[in-house]
Amino acid sequence: MELYVAALGFGLISASVIAIAAVGFTMQFGITNMINLAYGEVMMVSGYAAFYVNQAGVNIWVAMIAGALAGAALSYLLNRFLYTPFQRKGTNLIGMVIISLAASLMIANLMLPLVGYDTSSYVIDQGQLLRWNGLVLTAAQIAIIVVAAILMAAIHGLLTYTRLGKAMRATAANPTLARNCGIPTQRVISVVWLITGALCGVAGVVAGMDSENFSVASGAGYLITIIAAAVLGGAGQPYGAMIGALIIGLVTELSAAAIAPEYKQVVAFAILVLVMVLRPQGMLAKRGALAAAG
Amino acid sequence: MNRFQPAVRQHLNSTRLLSVIAALVVLAACGGGTSSTGGLGSGPLLVGVLAPFSGADASFGPRYLAGCYAAALSINGAGGVGGRQVSCQQFDTRGEPADAVPAANAMISSNSNLMGVVGCTSDEASTVVPILDRSHIPMTCMTGQSEFNKTTFKYFHRLVPPDSFDAYAMIGSALFGPGHAPYKNIALVFGDDIGSQTFVGPAVAALNKLGVNIAINQAIHLGASSYRTEVQKMLLTHPDVILTETIGSAGTYLGEVKQLNGGKMIPFIGTSATIDPVWFKQVVTAIGLPDFEANYTAVDLALSLQGPGYDEFVTQLTAADSKYSGSQALTYKGKSPTVHLYDGIILDALAMVAANSSDPTVYNPKIFDIANGVPGATVVNTFKDGVAELKAGKSIRYVGAAGENNFNQWNNSQQGYNLVTMDKNGNEVVIGQLTQAQTQQIIDAGGNA
Amino acid sequence: MNSYYAATLAVYAGVDIIACIALNLQFGVSGIVNFSFIVFQAAGAYTAAVLSMPPDNAYGGYQTYIGGLQLPFPMPWIGGAVVGGLLAIPVGLVVLRKLRTDYQAISLLVLSVIANSVITNARAFLNGAAGIAQVPGPFSDQVDPLAQSYQLLYVALTVPCVLLVWWVASRIVNSPFGRSLRAMREHEVAATAIGKNPVQLKMTVFIVGGVIAGLSGAILVGYIAVWAPSVWLYPETIILFAAVIVGGRGNNVGAILGALLVPVGFEEATRMMPPTIGGWVPPPNLIPAMQWVAIGLLIIGFLWFRPEGVRPEPRRVFEGAPVREDPERVLKS
Repeated sequence: MELYVAALGFGLISASVIAIAAVGFTMQFGITNMINLAYGEVMMVSGYAAFYVNQAGVNIWVAMIAGALAGAALSYLLNRFLYTPFQRKGTNLIGMVIISLAASLMIANLMLPLVGYDTSSYVIDQGQLLRWNGLVLTAAQIAIIVVAAILMAAIHGLLTYTRLGKAMRATAANPTLARNCGIPTQRVISVVWLITGALCGVAGVVAGMDSENFSVASGAGYLITIIAAAVLGGAGQPYGAMIGALIIGLVTELSAAAIAPEYKQVVAFAILVLVMVLRPQGMLAKRGALAAAG
Repeated sequence: MNRFQPAVRQHLNSTRLLSVIAALVVLAACGGGTSSTGGLGSGPLLVGVLAPFSGADASFGPRYLAGCYAAALSINGAGGVGGRQVSCQQFDTRGEPADAVPAANAMISSNSNLMGVVGCTSDEASTVVPILDRSHIPMTCMTGQSEFNKTTFKYFHRLVPPDSFDAYAMIGSALFGPGHAPYKNIALVFGDDIGSQTFVGPAVAALNKLGVNIAINQAIHLGASSYRTEVQKMLLTHPDVILTETIGSAGTYLGEVKQLNGGKMIPFIGTSATIDPVWFKQVVTAIGLPDFEANYTAVDLALSLQGPGYDEFVTQLTAADSKYSGSQALTYKGKSPTVHLYDGIILDALAMVAANSSDPTVYNPKIFDIANGVPGATVVNTFKDGVAELKAGKSIRYVGAAGENNFNQWNNSQQGYNLVTMDKNGNEVVIGQLTQAQTQQIIDAGGNA
Repeated sequence: MNSYYAATLAVYAGVDIIACIALNLQFGVSGIVNFSFIVFQAAGAYTAAVLSMPPDNAYGGYQTYIGGLQLPFPMPWIGGAVVGGLLAIPVGLVVLRKLRTDYQAISLLVLSVIANSVITNARAFLNGAAGIAQVPGPFSDQVDPLAQSYQLLYVALTVPCVLLVWWVASRIVNSPFGRSLRAMREHEVAATAIGKNPVQLKMTVFIVGGVIAGLSGAILVGYIAVWAPSVWLYPETIILFAAVIVGGRGNNVGAILGALLVPVGFEEATRMMPPTIGGWVPPPNLIPAMQWVAIGLLIIGFLWFRPEGVRPEPRRVFEGAPVREDPERVLKS
């Protein structure tokens, strides 16, 4: 029993890491209609940006800012110079998916000669191991959960209470109508890429902190889990992504406790497939999956 | 597909033997003149490094290539093989069999001057070994797969232990190692990948037969971002020791062991592949040097990493590092594959000189003789010395950078195992040895194929 | 170029052509973005392997797998094709419902990752990460597999399969069924309105594609004699997609061209690259990494400059029907 409570705690950490990433990913899809399969690679690049700053002696929690900036910049450039031109050309959804795949391939393989194939680690003080009623967490891990919670609250605040947030939601719902109402959708979209890019960057750093070591190959690993969480919650729904992340994180760790741990990822994905069968639009989506093809 | 290839087509009768000796004497008398190269042919020679240079195991290729560079420089610095200069070329198998087949075929097709091949890891060995054997190319392979323990491929040579033997040695360390009572409760933590799983089967069989309790047999997915639940599960079985390899994820896993065990580390025993600067760095970063030194042991073939053979290797590796600036050759100074494959290539070259032939069907059997040494052979440690002794008509035994080799009838090189650890700089330090009897007891229990 | 390498290229070309034709049927003609395509090829390969291998205690028992029926040619190949088709049924039922195309794509991608992970970890099933080795090819007990004559034999077995698949695919593409598929691809709602059942159409082409993909796997495994999870990771599907896009979607000649250009031509050409450039020896991992960058650029470049591919889909015009000039439509799909 103790193992399951501990697994619950571990699941919370996983969920926090996934949530930060999944919210950014799903907002990119919801507002700009782009399934950005290069997201995992941007996380990885941001993780390395923070790594080099960290190596220069900066505390990792401060270096996280470098990661966020790197993520924001790379995502913005990706959208500006690759995705938008193709979208303007009228490329359909699948074409864009394939393009983002090609971009992820290129980013990963351009990073390889630069940083090498070996893994890298942050210099981080994990802090004390705290035990409480079966939960087993270090101070740093609790800090990660807190960071995730703060960011989720910030996104909530942004979307609900600010003009920018309202403009984002309007653009997501109906871009043409939004434009007609005077919302500068192009500018909103650029800001969205900057904000979600920053989220992506923070997620990359946090993932690196969580896993002790990371490498270029980590990017692809992140992507599948993030997609699972985002789709689970309903693509385009930030709150859905948070719930999806929680579910994936908890299920993964609890199944590792209950059954053979080498299948833990498989169980999470199987949940995803199950949801897609039973409720293809995800947990929270109102539209989305059931829209007309193409 | 396992075809016995008659390795020697010609038999040396006494007349030929005399003329060969005469030629060698003439060579010696001429002071190493290059014009009469006997049967060694002319033109450059190529060593193919057939290994993953991309994909999940992309880090393997460069370390093998570095060994080849060092060997080539050592050979060429001593005048080459009968004046023929040796060079190295990489052939990327991408770490999987379907890409390895065209890689091997392309390599053979485009290069008629292949003197040997190194690499062939477990990612691709099953497909490329038959291809290389059919083309009579002597190979020094890195694969630990058990299917090659009794192979009938005559051109296959293995200077590293099969994974099953590593597993037995680790058990030996757990049961008979110095500084602790025999461990009673053993946790096995290995990756689910091809290179890792070859340890688990033999280990489980041996432990069961010996009546030692397996606390948990855990397969983890390498490269995952965390293993906390797995670690917690393992801790709940209260093992005395963890047997592991988990290349790439060892830092993550062991770091979480220390964390979740309240800061107290559990002893852990690694395979020979863990004796590696990268593994060292990952784990030390995760658990700190004191805990590493107090709790880590590993097993290794008696790899000496000292002596004149190793010195020559380091000299040439340093030269290679500056000549081929992108290769980072010097970072592989302590890496077992680099050292072993260097020896493999030197063996190939010495075999060619000893047989005075560039025909692999003639010189391939010589590799065995030079590695094991015939009675009365002179021990040499470098290619240069080897050539000199051969010119003087002696038979030689090459004891190289990695020390002695002892091929058995299946061209697998075995000798005793050392129990080792790494010092604070990541250098290998021998702390004990398993006796022949101890090793045999475990091998018998494991029922090695 | 010796005969072994030439034979390798020929067999690989055949296998890739068959695979691209199948993918083209699913993606090019019908618009199903099957990002799990490689799983079907793998299913065919594993099936052919376990049908042709001896029981798993052979060769010292170092591998464990189901089957081991030691069936002679052509049973393993037929078995591989059949299983490829059978696998398409549950996958199709799960995914090919009224899901938006991009959702389908993602769930198929995830399924492919799941499949690879499960096979890797369920060691007793198909020998896990190590895969199955020493798979006997067709007629390998009568002809020495290491001899040159065997290479010729293998090419002689592959070529008719390629021709057969091409013929079947052409019949499909130029049939009423093919027209329904294209109608569904272009405008699913309209197609439904005139009475076509898109789910049924998709299932059918999914199964047919699965059969052909399974056959391609069976042919490949008999040649390389090994099959492991590392051979069918999800980037392999991406290469095939690149091939279909580059060659030209919706038509078989385009699929063939794409197969020759990308998996065969491009991947093999980079093998021929010289190890030194001028006097500079690049770091060993650089060229393989750059190769992938080039593949990415190739995909992006083609989608930008020639989205219809090297050989575009022929526009089908019916006599008497008014021709609507709509080049944008051709480019966009």
